[in-house]
Amino acid sequence: MTVLNRRQILSKTAAAFAAAVAGWSSRAQANSDDPETRKHVVEIRAFKFVPDTISVAPGDRITWINSDIVPHTATASDKSWDTGTIPKGGSKTVTATHGMSAGYFCRFHPMMKAALDIAGNS
Amino acid sequence: MKIKAALLAAGLSVAFFHGPASAQSPADLNDLEIAHVAYTADNIDIRYAHLALAISQNPEIREFAQTMIRDHTAVNEQALALLAELNADPQDNFLSQTLMENADKLIDEMSQLRGAAFDKRYAENELAYHKAVNDLVENTFIPNIDNEQVRALFEAGLQIFKAHEGHATMMVAKVK
Repeated sequence: MTVLNRRQILSKTAAAFAAAVAGWSSRAQANSDDPETRKHVVEIRAFKFVPDTISVAPGDRITWINSDIVPHTATASDKSWDTGTIPKGGSKTVTATHGMSAGYFCRFHPMMKAALDIAGNS
Repeated sequence: MKIKAALLAAGLSVAFFHGPASAQSPADLNDLEIAHVAYTADNIDIRYAHLALAISQNPEIREFAQTMIRDHTAVNEQALALLAELNADPQDNFLSQTLMENADKLIDEMSQLRGAAFDKRYAENELAYHKAVNDLVENTFIPNIDNEQVRALFEAGLQIFKAHEGHATMMVAKVK
């Protein structure tokens, strides 16, 4: 292999690296504006949803993490959506939609109540 | 006296306060005996719940019973895991035995009931039972537990059982 070839290789490698960095940077920028990547976390702790109200927009993803030692659910007050059973230490995610029921509770422990503040819902 | 009143409210015998074993009281139990009482109390409520699932046709009573089985089983699994970690075994004692004897009598009694009469009796017992056990756990067991991990588990358990007490209060109001 000649010196020239090594230079060419180095040059191409550097260019490829720069392009990769630029591409990654560009995607990261795009992702931060992508509504589908907005994520919210609600912790279930000591038989409470924390926080008990979150503001979301359609397309947002809401994840409930169960930090209690017993299973819970996050279930719409009118039962139109339901995470299903969230086991101890587990999590479940729901995507917010237009017009979805905002109030929710734990099906197993109906005194546990919380709400979503959904942009665009009247 | 507060404990005695709470146990009476749950229909539990208080013979141990007066008989030859009167020297024993819940406050004298060690950590492993307390763990045994809690495990026993959990299993008793699971038995009540299975009876409810066998007899009741009320969807809310059945849902409540399923929650009792799910939650008390989870707490017991956590307790057994902790005891295994501590390389310790729960110790049988007078209070566990009294709880079991009284549970047997109550199950015999409730087994004779059907329909709304059963639902009402089951819901009222769940409320009284959780009140009594919560009082015992909060005011006698937790202050007397020596091991920090065991105490932490009881504190977590108390949160769960207080939630059950609140749920049972709702059930009693619904089946009146």
